[in-house]
Amino acid sequence: MKKRLFKLLSVCMAVAMLSVLMSACGGSGGSGSPEEGKSTDSSAKEESAAVDDGKPDTSKKVVLNWYLLGDAHADTPKVVAEWNKMLEKDLNATVKLNFTTWNDWQTKYNLLLASGEKVDMLFASSWADFFKFAKQGAFLDLKDLLPKYAPETWKEVPEQDWKDVTIGGKILAVPSTYPEYTPDGLVYREDWREELNAPEITDLDSIEKYLEAVKTVKKVTPIKGKAWNEVNTLFHNYYDFKNIGGDSGVIVAKSYDTPRDVVAYPFTMEFEEWVKRMKTWADKGFWTSNTLSIQQESGDFIKTGTGAVYWRNAPGASGFIADIEKNHREIKKMGYFPFTRFHNYAVPNLGINNGMAIPKNSENPERSLMVLEKLRNDPKYYNLMTYGIEGENYVLNDKGAIVSPPPGKDPKKGYGIASWGWRYSKNEHPSSNRWEGEDKLMEEFKAASRPDIFAPILMDYQPVKSQLAAVNQVYQQFGMPLMMGLVPDVDQALENYRSKLKAAGVDAVLAYVQKEVNAYADEKGLK
Amino acid sequence: MGYIVISVLALLCLLPFWLIISGSFSAEDDIIRDGFRLVPNHFSIDAYKAVFSNPMQIIQAYEVTVGLTLTGTILGLFFTSMAGYVLSRKDFKYRDKLAFFIYFTTLFSGGLIPWYILIVNYLDWKDSYLALLVPALMSAWNIILMKNFMKSIPDSIVESAKIDGAGEFTIYWKLILPLSTPGLATIGLFLGLSYWNDWFSANVFITTESKYPLQFLLYKILASAAVLKTDIAGNLGADFKAPAETLKMAVAIVVTGPIIFLYPFVQRYFVKGLTIGAVKG
Amino acid sequence: MILPALLFFIVFSYIPMVGVYYAFTNFSFDGGLFGSPFVGMQNFKFLFESGALYNLTKNTVLYNLAFIFVGNLLQLICAVFLSEMAGKWFKKTTQSIMFLPFFISFVLVGAFVYNLFNFETGSVNALLRGLGLQPYDFYLHTAPWKYIIVFFNVWKGLGYGTVIYLAAIMGISDEYHEAAKIDGANIFKRIRYITIPLLRPTFVLLILLSLGGILKGQFDLFWQIVGNNGMLYDATDIIDTYVYRSLAINFDIGMGTAAGLFQSFFGFVLVVTVNWIVRKVQKDYALF
Repeated sequence: MKKRLFKLLSVCMAVAMLSVLMSACGGSGGSGSPEEGKSTDSSAKEESAAVDDGKPDTSKKVVLNWYLLGDAHADTPKVVAEWNKMLEKDLNATVKLNFTTWNDWQTKYNLLLASGEKVDMLFASSWADFFKFAKQGAFLDLKDLLPKYAPETWKEVPEQDWKDVTIGGKILAVPSTYPEYTPDGLVYREDWREELNAPEITDLDSIEKYLEAVKTVKKVTPIKGKAWNEVNTLFHNYYDFKNIGGDSGVIVAKSYDTPRDVVAYPFTMEFEEWVKRMKTWADKGFWTSNTLSIQQESGDFIKTGTGAVYWRNAPGASGFIADIEKNHREIKKMGYFPFTRFHNYAVPNLGINNGMAIPKNSENPERSLMVLEKLRNDPKYYNLMTYGIEGENYVLNDKGAIVSPPPGKDPKKGYGIASWGWRYSKNEHPSSNRWEGEDKLMEEFKAASRPDIFAPILMDYQPVKSQLAAVNQVYQQFGMPLMMGLVPDVDQALENYRSKLKAAGVDAVLAYVQKEVNAYADEKGLK
Repeated sequence: MGYIVISVLALLCLLPFWLIISGSFSAEDDIIRDGFRLVPNHFSIDAYKAVFSNPMQIIQAYEVTVGLTLTGTILGLFFTSMAGYVLSRKDFKYRDKLAFFIYFTTLFSGGLIPWYILIVNYLDWKDSYLALLVPALMSAWNIILMKNFMKSIPDSIVESAKIDGAGEFTIYWKLILPLSTPGLATIGLFLGLSYWNDWFSANVFITTESKYPLQFLLYKILASAAVLKTDIAGNLGADFKAPAETLKMAVAIVVTGPIIFLYPFVQRYFVKGLTIGAVKG
Repeated sequence: MILPALLFFIVFSYIPMVGVYYAFTNFSFDGGLFGSPFVGMQNFKFLFESGALYNLTKNTVLYNLAFIFVGNLLQLICAVFLSEMAGKWFKKTTQSIMFLPFFISFVLVGAFVYNLFNFETGSVNALLRGLGLQPYDFYLHTAPWKYIIVFFNVWKGLGYGTVIYLAAIMGISDEYHEAAKIDGANIFKRIRYITIPLLRPTFVLLILLSLGGILKGQFDLFWQIVGNNGMLYDATDIIDTYVYRSLAINFDIGMGTAAGLFQSFFGFVLVVTVNWIVRKVQKDYALF
């Protein structure tokens, strides 16, 4: 009996597995995707051709597959259900809204796009590798679809923002429309500064005096957790060294005013001066000797009274300070020094700092775009998906600011998802509980605004990728300890770092970046 | 002497765990300021509150994990022991070649992307429990260990059974399996642990929250708590902040607890003296 | 009866193996796996041209050898001790306790290491100061890290590995021990002449199994303990951490796959060689 049962079982197994095997072989491994991509392309064209007269055809009911970054809120299923009711009525479509969760979201982006899964829209961003994916052909060209299926968006997104997402003549994303400044800066304990009579923080010397006072009088290590970001961003901003096309490692433009002057900064006099100074900072104990190994945020130590300084960008600082004002009342006053003050200008983020894109394997790009159009422009849609259900998750106060959760509700009702991709300043409401210094900062940035000329430079690095990898490696092994002043002998370490960079091929990388920058500057007519 | 060595080692293993328990009941600020303590300075259950902020979800996740672990372990044991048995038979002509065929898979792998394409595009297992269950059923490591355990069963048993007219499957099911209980318990334990601990496949394949297994749900809670501290989250409204440091420890406790209680149960199978006589009788 | 297993490995291991082809292409989403341009060995260049490969390979191999041998020996000893112990309660409890570290994530292991060894508040330095000795800044010196890393890895795997040896001991027929007892052998002699020789195949097998991964490192272990600390890399850098850092700014599927292929190939050659030698010496111990 058992024997027969087993035979049956194993035969079934074998058949099942074989059929799987066959189907897999038939598709010859993993290359089925390009063809599928093509077929959706052509069907898209057919459809748009068929209904060229008047309104887009929505007679066929479709289910769209969307991906957002991060996590859903506990109430998101309710919100999405509400949204789908509206969508079904207006556009005869529903959306299955997926979240990547914050675990390894980069890996998941790679998988979603590389596998050619059928995704109709996902969050895209310059800080989530938009340019790399775009250049490698992961997204659908929206040029022909936009005027027809998202006319309002097409009109209202500024020309420059469309240009930023146009790569090789194709428009590959819908950028958010929400001018924003996120310059780096230092959050610090202002109450201690006043108490210690340290000078107001306005430049590098006053930062040094403040740190010294905290260390010697308060006996507190000012930057107790990770200190790398503090030092690295301070360095770049102090000398006005600009990253090119995202994080460009040791290659920088020497200043905003001379975009074509590209250097490998470890070879500059400025760098030499800097590392000498940082050695004295490290020796004075402004951070701990194990700062490069520690995994804890320096901000955590501020909250416990054992730290004084933390690196944050402006909105991040605002959130951090608001949190301290609310939950750590023993800390009387926090201050913020944005690094924009070193050279008195601020650069707004690219539109595509947040945005939405359609992967090339989407089956219903037209409808997906129509949903986005609604989402961006119709306040009913916008508020629902951005702030949750009115009365339940938020209310608007008399100044039009969002109060979330509504007074008297469980704090867990306070709503938030990564809605940044469809943000539109026209429909955005400020939050009622934020750090009061934030508005003033934003005004300061706006007044000193200059356009971003470095971020849109597309860096591919393909021809020099092995040199770049080697340079990265040297940078992390020798450059970081040197910049943190952790080496016993600065001169020797500097010389060693420079020779290791040369050996790794830093010149080839520099030449490549220089070439790309020149081409870009010629095209844009920069000096 | 043996007692001393074992006691010292056990202490070395117990102490950190105790520190984690203590840490999970500490106030977040104390952990940041002072690090680990044997006894919490300020007793706090904030971390557990954050873990159980949505108790229904945790219960659901426990159900998913227990279900997967049980199914996976039983099926996995069945297939693994069959394969191990075949490889352990000295009269099986291709055993070396097949052993190599199986071992080879531990050396080379195509990486995550083709794997993902296979599961999602060809098997269509995205967001399906099958993606969590099937790929972990067998591993070369377990099969080869199984084969090794079964090697110590004397050939004479198989031969005499054959003379009695027993079929291959009967021999395996009636004779070999009862004789390999320590091996089965070990592999069962390993299989169970791998299902219990697996969060990565859920991370990649599961998109519906109610299908999350426990480990992944907890990792997700941890990752969100960590992200709330970064610049990315500068714009995320977060009135409800989880205590990230103590949360790590509470998560370790929530995950480990049930397994620790289960382990003595497994130990029952580590008994000596299953001799040939005992089976034949 | 082995058919399900074979099909399983064909589907879930051999078919996805086509992915090693990524190592030879310049990946693009347009082309996918087979449509992307073929670039030969170009993706391997970053491993060989940096000049660091020798040190990396050395570190990776030595760490793994230490993990394998120290780990297995200790697990074997524990299993032997445990199996000979009389107190049932003690035996079971200690065995359970030894499994605990297996559940502690590397993130927490990293936190422990930091709490033990940091200069300002670490327990070790607090102890040194308490004894009136000079505190030692672990994070600026490479020497102690080899031992710290090996210790924590062995510690984490102790319970898991012990179970394998324990099961192997349980498989040893009691008849041998009974016979030895009658002959008047004491417990040490029985361990020396019965248990240990009978465990030798398992020991050899486990080592052979591990050798294939000799160039693959425990990324999480090293990353959580050492982090970004370039000061310690001479002693702590392994291929996995190196590759991770190299590709941190510009991740490239081709280069990532190439590094993995290099590791696999090295392990493959090693295992086949060692297995061949083992086969010559004692056919029964060989893996295949």
